[in-house]
Amino acid sequence: MPSEHRLHPSSVLFALAAALKAFALPALLLFVTSGRSSPGPSNGGWGPARWMNRWIPGNVEIENWQFWILLFLIPATIAALVRYFTFRLRYEGTELVIRSGILFRNERHVPYGRIQNLDAVRNVFHRLLGVAEVRVETGGGKAPEATISVLHETVFEEMRRRVFAGRAGVVQEDQEQSAEPSAPPGDVETRTLLYLPVRELLLNGLLENRGLILIGAAYGALWEAGLFRGVWDQFASGLYGPGLVRDTVRTVVGGNLPSFGRIVILLLGIGGLLLVVRVLSMAYSFLRLHEFRLTRAGDDLRTEYGLLTRVTTTVPLKRVQSLAMRQTPLQRLVDRMSIRVETAGGQGSQQDGQRKQPREWLAPIIRTSAVPALVGEVLPGLELEGLDWQPLHRRAFSRAVKPALVLASVSALPFVYWFGWAGLAVLSITVPWLVTLTWFHIRYTRWAISEDVLAFRSGWLWRQCTVVPTTKIQVVGRAESPFDRRAAMAGIRVDTAGSASPVHRISIPYLARETAAALHERLALQTAQTTFRW
Amino acid sequence: MESGTDTIADGTSRRLDPRWITVQRIGGSIFIAVLGFGSFVAVISMWVASGMLALGLLLVPLWLVLIGALGWQLLRWPAIAYRHTSYRVDEDGLEIQRGVYWRTITTVPRSRIQHTDVSQGPLERRYGLGTLVVYTAGTHHSQVSLSGLEFTVAQAIRVHLLPRDQGDAV
Repeated sequence: MPSEHRLHPSSVLFALAAALKAFALPALLLFVTSGRSSPGPSNGGWGPARWMNRWIPGNVEIENWQFWILLFLIPATIAALVRYFTFRLRYEGTELVIRSGILFRNERHVPYGRIQNLDAVRNVFHRLLGVAEVRVETGGGKAPEATISVLHETVFEEMRRRVFAGRAGVVQEDQEQSAEPSAPPGDVETRTLLYLPVRELLLNGLLENRGLILIGAAYGALWEAGLFRGVWDQFASGLYGPGLVRDTVRTVVGGNLPSFGRIVILLLGIGGLLLVVRVLSMAYSFLRLHEFRLTRAGDDLRTEYGLLTRVTTTVPLKRVQSLAMRQTPLQRLVDRMSIRVETAGGQGSQQDGQRKQPREWLAPIIRTSAVPALVGEVLPGLELEGLDWQPLHRRAFSRAVKPALVLASVSALPFVYWFGWAGLAVLSITVPWLVTLTWFHIRYTRWAISEDVLAFRSGWLWRQCTVVPTTKIQVVGRAESPFDRRAAMAGIRVDTAGSASPVHRISIPYLARETAAALHERLALQTAQTTFRW
Repeated sequence: MESGTDTIADGTSRRLDPRWITVQRIGGSIFIAVLGFGSFVAVISMWVASGMLALGLLLVPLWLVLIGALGWQLLRWPAIAYRHTSYRVDEDGLEIQRGVYWRTITTVPRSRIQHTDVSQGPLERRYGLGTLVVYTAGTHHSQVSLSGLEFTVAQAIRVHLLPRDQGDAV
């Protein structure tokens, strides 16, 4: 019946070699430093080695660096031995079962159907000994779910056979699925969904304001090159340098009005700087997104852009985990927004050698009127405006305004410290501002659920909207803080695969407790009834 | 085995094994013993180094109070946390409810579970408990763990959470 496999005995050696490799640099450093501090090979000098030598019988003398390596290696050796003696691998029905540990025992079950990658790494030494380091990867994680170092090759072959036999049906179906759209690579029709002309690129640069990044980069580069000193000196000693600013500030603080000419020069300077930043930003946008083209070929979305570095990415539609739209106040002024998609960390797609990013532009800038068509392309049948958008709890504002007020009073503290009680005057600006902000933020924050998607949008000045297909939801959570409980509210959180820091997580706060419970139940049910496909 | 999994997956809310409280308390005691010893040595050596009698009269009671309060809290807390922790297994997956002040309910659908661990530390083994960890492809909840289950129960839940839809619907 279930036969058990162990690690190959040489795994202890490989584990030690890995430990040595990890300590190679520190050991080298220690070697160098201890060589300096104790020039004679056997005088013992200072440090732990002297103490150690007292206890070692015979005329074996060790040096400090040897002691440190020993100290590092002992735990590594013990760990390697424990691993070797406790590791058990067996095949049970449709699963791979891995047991390990003495004190802390663990038994991991990996269903064959969930295994995405089964890799064997064989370097020269592995090949010499006829063994392999096996990596078993299932979804999601950045690191392999199990790194088995090392197995005898025959054991690996058996594992591969069993795993692929176990998931044969699955794989076949998967291939059918993916074969159908991408089978004849030649005849797939390619449609351009979005093309950005130069005008839009410049507009994007103007709105996005990446100029400061460029200035920062230039600053860094100049600093590195040592050129900065010269440039800065020239700039600072010049008449229009910070000396002017400093003098003006002094005059104003002194209670006098600076001369008219000065004000003009200063304003011109600031205006000029802002202009330069914007122009740089436009140039950056032009270079980076040059000839941006989003096309659809079969069931894949492709983006291509860049003048100097031409970037090409492919996003299979079924890999889209979520869709995020964003609109800054400036973008709203000219009726534009930006759209990104998140894809799952690419299992299996790495073989194409394509640049893989968890977050990808769909449209860095797009007319608001063109958004519904594009969204419908990515998530067929979805009409954002047709969704049943629900507001937050009616008392959400009175909840949300409290932290805002706390923030306002805390930020007033430094002013009180500097200016005495007169500093409280700052509250007359911050309080109305924060209250307004909160009011509109709550008003514009909405959520919607349909048969296929969960959508969440938030923000007033900076608006964001995230849409997650329910088939891509991994875990549904409901949270109640003590404040929530007092107000009979709760929040809903939804976890999806994708980058570790999504721009805009679906985390819906301030829902009535019953609403949250109903939404939770519905999401859990919808998620449970669908299967997740990468 | 099949009957065992059916009885666990009945969709009713269950408490953890009460022995979990004991295990948590022992763990807390070990922690407080180590911390107490370390901080005691630090306090005494500070006192000796300063050479001021008055400082010791201030520090030692302060140390006693802090360690005592922490120790008391660590002994008291597991029973409170126990009352606020429950789990539910049904056909669709696993639901865990926990948190005394900040309460959360986490639902992991069975169809999203990638693989599972059942682990046992030395203390847990002594009391016949185990920890179930389920892994999903998510980012923030890429692993959801539930400790304080009776070891056999943890295994039964694991067996139940196995993907059933092997050949067809994946």
